[in-house]
Amino acid sequence: MEANPRMGYGSIIKIPFGPQHPALKEPEHFTFEVEGNIIVDVKPRLGYNHRGIEKAMEVRTYIQNIYLAERICGICSDAHTTCYCQAIEELLGVEAPPRAKYIRVIIAELERIHSHSLWVGIAAHEIGFDTLFMHVWRDRETIMDILEFISGNRVHYAMNTIGGVRRDISSDMIPKIKKGLDFLEERIKDYIKIIETDPTIRKRTVNVGVLKPKDAIELCAVGPTLRASGIKNDVRKDDPYAAYDEIPFNVITNDGCDVFARIIVRCEEMLESVNMIRYALDNLPSGRLRVRVPLAVPAGEVVSRVEAPRGELIHYARSNGTSRPERYKIRSPTLGNIPALCKMLLGQHVADIPIVLAGIDPCFACMDRIAIVDTKTRKRRVMNFEELRRFSQRWRKTH
Amino acid sequence: MSLENKVIEKMKVSLNGKILEASNPRARRIFVKVKPEAFKDAVKFLVEDLNVKHLSTITGMDLGEKIELIYHFAFQGAISISLKVDVPKESPRIPSIVNLVPGAILYEREVHDVLGVNFEGHPDLSRLILPEDWPEGVYPLRKEYSPEDLRKLLSKNGGKS
Repeated sequence: MEANPRMGYGSIIKIPFGPQHPALKEPEHFTFEVEGNIIVDVKPRLGYNHRGIEKAMEVRTYIQNIYLAERICGICSDAHTTCYCQAIEELLGVEAPPRAKYIRVIIAELERIHSHSLWVGIAAHEIGFDTLFMHVWRDRETIMDILEFISGNRVHYAMNTIGGVRRDISSDMIPKIKKGLDFLEERIKDYIKIIETDPTIRKRTVNVGVLKPKDAIELCAVGPTLRASGIKNDVRKDDPYAAYDEIPFNVITNDGCDVFARIIVRCEEMLESVNMIRYALDNLPSGRLRVRVPLAVPAGEVVSRVEAPRGELIHYARSNGTSRPERYKIRSPTLGNIPALCKMLLGQHVADIPIVLAGIDPCFACMDRIAIVDTKTRKRRVMNFEELRRFSQRWRKTH
Repeated sequence: MSLENKVIEKMKVSLNGKILEASNPRARRIFVKVKPEAFKDAVKFLVEDLNVKHLSTITGMDLGEKIELIYHFAFQGAISISLKVDVPKESPRIPSIVNLVPGAILYEREVHDVLGVNFEGHPDLSRLILPEDWPEGVYPLRKEYSPEDLRKLLSKNGGKS
């Protein structure tokens, strides 16, 4: 490659990033063009974990597809089934009973806390603050225990079905859930205090990975990534589903526009979620859990939206009168945030790649092998993600 | 009149007979189908006149003779406006909207990958999700390919079935 005329440092080096890394959830590849230590271009390449679920759904029945939708993601499995089930309910012209809607909110908010705390731990790990990582993940077990207590499962809760939910939350279960929530509330408040005051965290995250409000809107960012750029946008409020129109809550925003703001938004959202779960438990309507639905779905089309932990999740379904969908489209929030992610990486240091990438809470983010190729000398050096993480921490200590 | 109906009425006035169908099946949901020649104007109207900035995604669908594209916009974050347009399957092409909605960049690439729609004016339509060794001209979401066909294709190319 020719020397870059813009900055005069010499060559631009391409760094292939990914796709394999066992420590993160899914594989992903980025090509970074760097000049010196600064990123000047980012090219994403997706699909390493493309399983053809949309195509697979066309040849399965609506009932089978609940289980397939559950397995789209291992973190926000409930968001996908909620989105799926309410889409099919709308096509059938049925509505889940009020008790089922409240239980859907409870599970969704428990999932949000578990997903956000998982993320806070990962973010702390990326910047080398492993003590915080260990503490957050230890406390996250409380949420996992509550989810297991309610549903019998830690990951795929299998709570949703077309027409309602499959398991009840009985009144004698509520005290135990509330006890867990009280503990978590204390801990989350503690974390916010630590994050706001700790100089290490501030140094690594303030003004890092900046996404200006204008760019966030133009690049169609979603979820906490968007809200941390000061945009008040939340599907739960704007386009309410389940029982979100009956449960009071605030949409958390922050004007920081950087990784620090993204941490704060997620932490404060966890506190909101704790209150929402408490309210839903106290006001749980009585009644049945589900309505029975026919196997064949009349012809029609529907757009279903849900605020997953990472942001707006949208499903589109077209039915043809049989027991299998004609077309089922899924767009998960991470894809919506990738153009914004590419924007925030521009002008950043190589050492900040892990935390900025982690900043959108990617549900793919796998960066295993990193080959640094100097295009001038043709020398090739391969770093794995762990080495890059160490390099990043070493570099930060001296700069 | 509901806000949803007002939006539909405004679109009808602005696009002057180029709307094939418009419906408002429930609160916060609008479906509008436009003629292909009016597509770019429809997007321009949404972005510039209605100030719709958020594109949730693009759905592509094989209808046999045609491919239907559905652009899912969000008006004020709340009302989902699904703008539909048909393109012939023989030579599926449609103007890219990346200049109007920069966030459409990956959604157009995705539809190009899986259905072979050519988004004219898109800066980079290289592969996004299909593997490098995927055969040219095979678009997996088209109805002529069953999941079994695709599995066979993959194993022929050295992938696991």
